Amino acid sequence: MLNIIELFLKNLVVFVSITVQILYLLKKTRLKKLFSVIFLLFFSLVQAQETFTLNGVIKDASNNETLYGVNILVTNLNSGVVSNEYGFYSIKLPKGSHNILISYLGYKEQNFSINITENSTYNFSLEETSETLEEVLVTSDSQATNIRAPEMSVNRLDISTIQKLPVVFGEVDVVKSLLLLPGVSNAGEGSSGFNVRGGAVDQNLILLDEATIYNSSHLFGLFSVFNPDAIKNLKLYKGGIPAKYGGRVSSVLDIFQKDGNSKEFKANGGIGIISSRLLAEGPIVKDKGSFLVGGRSSYAHLFLKLTDNENTAYFYDLNTKLSYRLDNSNTILFSGYFGRDVFNINESFKNTYGNAVLNLRWNHVLTDNIFTNLSVIYSDYYYGLTLDFVEFNWNSGIKNLNLKYDFSQYINENISLDYGMQNTYYEFNPGEIEPSTPTSGIRDYELTKKYAFESALYISAEHHISDNFTAEYGIRFSNFFRLGQEELKLYNNDQAVVFNNDFKIYEKAEPIGFKTLEKSKVEKYFKALEPRIALAYSFNDNQSVKLSYNRMNQYLHLITNTSSPTPLDIWAPSGKYIDPQVLDQIAVGYFENIKNGEYSFEVESFYKKIKNRVSYIDGANLIANNAIEQVILPGKARAYGLEVLFKKNTGNFTGWFAYTLSKSEQKTPGRTALETGINNGTWYNTAYDKTHDISITASYELSDKWQLNSNFNYQTGLPTTYPNAQYTFEDLVIPVYSARNSERLPAYHRLDFSTTYTPSKNKTRNYKSSWNFGIYNVYGRKNAVSLSFRNNDDTGRNEAVRLSIFGIIPSVTYNFKF
Amino acid sequence: MKIINYLLFFILFVTLYSCEEVVEVDLQESKPRLVVEASIIWEKGNSGNTQIITLTTTSSYFASAISPAKDAMVEVISSTGDTFNFNEIEPGIYVNTNFLPEINMEYRLTIRYKNEMYTAKEIMIPVVELENVEQTLNGGFSGNDIELKAYFNDPAEISNYYLFKFIFDDLSVQIYDDEFTNGNRTFAYFSNKDLTIGDEVRFEIQGISESFYEYLYILSSQAGENNGGPFQTQPTTVRGNIINETNEGNFAFGYFRLSQSNKLDYKIQ
Repeated sequence: MLNIIELFLKNLVVFVSITVQILYLLKKTRLKKLFSVIFLLFFSLVQAQETFTLNGVIKDASNNETLYGVNILVTNLNSGVVSNEYGFYSIKLPKGSHNILISYLGYKEQNFSINITENSTYNFSLEETSETLEEVLVTSDSQATNIRAPEMSVNRLDISTIQKLPVVFGEVDVVKSLLLLPGVSNAGEGSSGFNVRGGAVDQNLILLDEATIYNSSHLFGLFSVFNPDAIKNLKLYKGGIPAKYGGRVSSVLDIFQKDGNSKEFKANGGIGIISSRLLAEGPIVKDKGSFLVGGRSSYAHLFLKLTDNENTAYFYDLNTKLSYRLDNSNTILFSGYFGRDVFNINESFKNTYGNAVLNLRWNHVLTDNIFTNLSVIYSDYYYGLTLDFVEFNWNSGIKNLNLKYDFSQYINENISLDYGMQNTYYEFNPGEIEPSTPTSGIRDYELTKKYAFESALYISAEHHISDNFTAEYGIRFSNFFRLGQEELKLYNNDQAVVFNNDFKIYEKAEPIGFKTLEKSKVEKYFKALEPRIALAYSFNDNQSVKLSYNRMNQYLHLITNTSSPTPLDIWAPSGKYIDPQVLDQIAVGYFENIKNGEYSFEVESFYKKIKNRVSYIDGANLIANNAIEQVILPGKARAYGLEVLFKKNTGNFTGWFAYTLSKSEQKTPGRTALETGINNGTWYNTAYDKTHDISITASYELSDKWQLNSNFNYQTGLPTTYPNAQYTFEDLVIPVYSARNSERLPAYHRLDFSTTYTPSKNKTRNYKSSWNFGIYNVYGRKNAVSLSFRNNDDTGRNEAVRLSIFGIIPSVTYNFKF
Repeated sequence: MKIINYLLFFILFVTLYSCEEVVEVDLQESKPRLVVEASIIWEKGNSGNTQIITLTTTSSYFASAISPAKDAMVEVISSTGDTFNFNEIEPGIYVNTNFLPEINMEYRLTIRYKNEMYTAKEIMIPVVELENVEQTLNGGFSGNDIELKAYFNDPAEISNYYLFKFIFDDLSVQIYDDEFTNGNRTFAYFSNKDLTIGDEVRFEIQGISESFYEYLYILSSQAGENNGGPFQTQPTTVRGNIINETNEGNFAFGYFRLSQSNKLDYKIQ
């Protein structure tokens, strides 16, 4: 731990000195002007008019929560900006009087006339429309597709939308909601994580208040780790990923927690059939500081009615946040997350795992048009197991310490810049084993710990080139330092896997020596330039075409060879034997808003390819393996597809239709002409490839009291492998399998229904409540999670067995707030 | 550490909520291949003179009968030049009654079948003795299953690989490597909910090579009862150590291995 701190401090010193120099330069007015002039010349868009900056923060009037993605339109100039994730906006305006229109989904529009004679700060508070539903017709078009922005392949979900969707057991779930969007799927019911555009689960960067979450599932994928009450909103980037993000090749899921109500004390919660929730928030100093603390826990014993014994299985999580607004240009935010899954079977099997995150941020408005955020983040994933009957304890995990400094600079009404640097120090614990009793035959054993440091610099510009043409372009320079470790195994020709030509199988190579290097030294260095570009051309206010390209590098690999990751899978850093994954993705799309945003239509097509995707040799044992390099081979992956999204955004009846046509494949060719590769070196379907995926989601506001929600899913069955022969060896019946993933499970389909009842007495009292009644899988389809083949012990005959998890599941949830 | 695999808890968890149903599936059929079951077992204290090699061919997955591979020529030659011919006494069953087992001796198997020659090489692996059995009455997931631990002393000088057989009603097989227990007194663990006091059970320990351990590791992940579900590993073709010298593509399944073994009978108290 001391070493982490030391390394971190070293890095911090360098970083702070660079930052101080930049700040010093910027603060010196003369140079600041020069700085701006350089940028202006660079983009050759100098305007010979005196301009001033209007900036500020946009908040919810009822609780002072900052609002992300609010449109600030200057109607007389036909230009505008959007508030950032901390609610901040900044816009350059010529001297004079301007009409400002502020609009945001679910909030009343505001219209202002402002006379600008100097740099000014205006903070706006928006009122929610839902509280005065009768009078106001919702016309906000934020839910409609953003036509002019180059941003594409992005889905934004508001927590209120997520809360309406019918879900299994009535438990509102962020990740399960994402599965209803085009391009997002998972490896079947009860599998953990999610797959984006044919990518693997470990290729998603999941950020909770900017901190990385390594495992997004509770109870092996039945629920996600995010407490919906504590979440403000989320954004999923499937493509065209801005230079600000890096480190994973498939997608970015950026989740923002609420800051807490700084106006008045509020509490809300819910009681469901699986878990209960309670969240409290309120001011520390009115209008300046606030706290939020939210907890969620499932009921113990619920899952283990198996026996009469003291068995427990439950999960819980805790979300906390403190925020304090020092003045107009400084805000301090502190947030934390702690979640655990706990299993205890008869005191002889104990299993605990989960994420922990701590995050301290400082928002600072450096100059009128430069917003900065400095974050120090600690995040940790822990997996612990005690097996008393075989007398040992086991634990593994990953820890990281992250320092980020991000800048947003609004240069003029046409150009804004994002730039910054991000540094992460990792410690990987692949596993420690120790005897749990004094008489145990198990020896203390520690798999070699690994260390790495990741650093990135990025800059990107959003550039309005003309009225119809907008571009976002940038570059990320990423660096990865695999640091020294104890006893790194060395092999002949650096080949940790050898091919046995007699038996045509891959085998572990025998190490020829070891290398021990201090962890302050660099064992292997990787660097990469990652260009990102997105272009939007709008024909008019309602139609546009967009194009994007991005390259990304992923330096961490989740070591797993099951269809869906398990909680005990470990993360491995790139190094001497594992190269970073490199992605190239291109996407094109057509976007249209119909009838003034009442409907929207999006169609996108993508192609991506990934280098150095790790694949596993046949029979690889990954558990407690201290030399993972001996069982992996580098492969390739590719995916392509078409996504259609048609939404109805306004009125009593809302919802969407999403369709995805796609293909996701993998290939591991032999390294030489002699080697066979995996699956004979040919392309094969990934375990999560789905040709067709249709989701229909509908919500109907019947009256003030009743709301009806429904969704329907249809998906091609997942790829699987069938046997084509059998034989007997030493009394075991062995199936002979055909080519990998060449068959399919039966198609998956399901209909869900739910209704929300809000009593009318709510209007007249402070205590508000609602009931949610749901039915998951209404027609009781027995969807196959897997088809397995086995020899029946009793009959001695071979049989095919379909495993299905959920039948019809009714649920009821009671929600309240006061 | 195979034991962790066995106990992966999610398998239990998934089965709590899940529903399993036997269904009809149409399968493709591949052409038959030779399957070699050449397990030369030398029980400590016996001469080990009588040994059996079984040859079969693969059959369609739902077929109930096993098809023997008849009319093959089978011989085993030791590295010192002793030749042991195995004669077909029943279809597909080949026997030799004057085999001379020797610890750490390398043997070579040759099979001529349908004009193709198959070969394999392996060493006879020694094993330590099972010493005693300890039992507890309140083990397993339910807390009232009988647990049995058969103890042995693992030799410290080398990496050892073991195959355990537990015979009660039907056969249960486990493999074990000494990575985490090297040189210690350790045990093979068995628990079965049907065990009751007075039952007689038999333990068997066999010494196996690392490559046979790896082979069985893959086999058991394919053949076990616990495959299925989102956490299953990729099924694959499992190649043994038999080489087709005549026609490389027409490879055979199975394994040629030689193991010393030790048995221990135990009556539950």
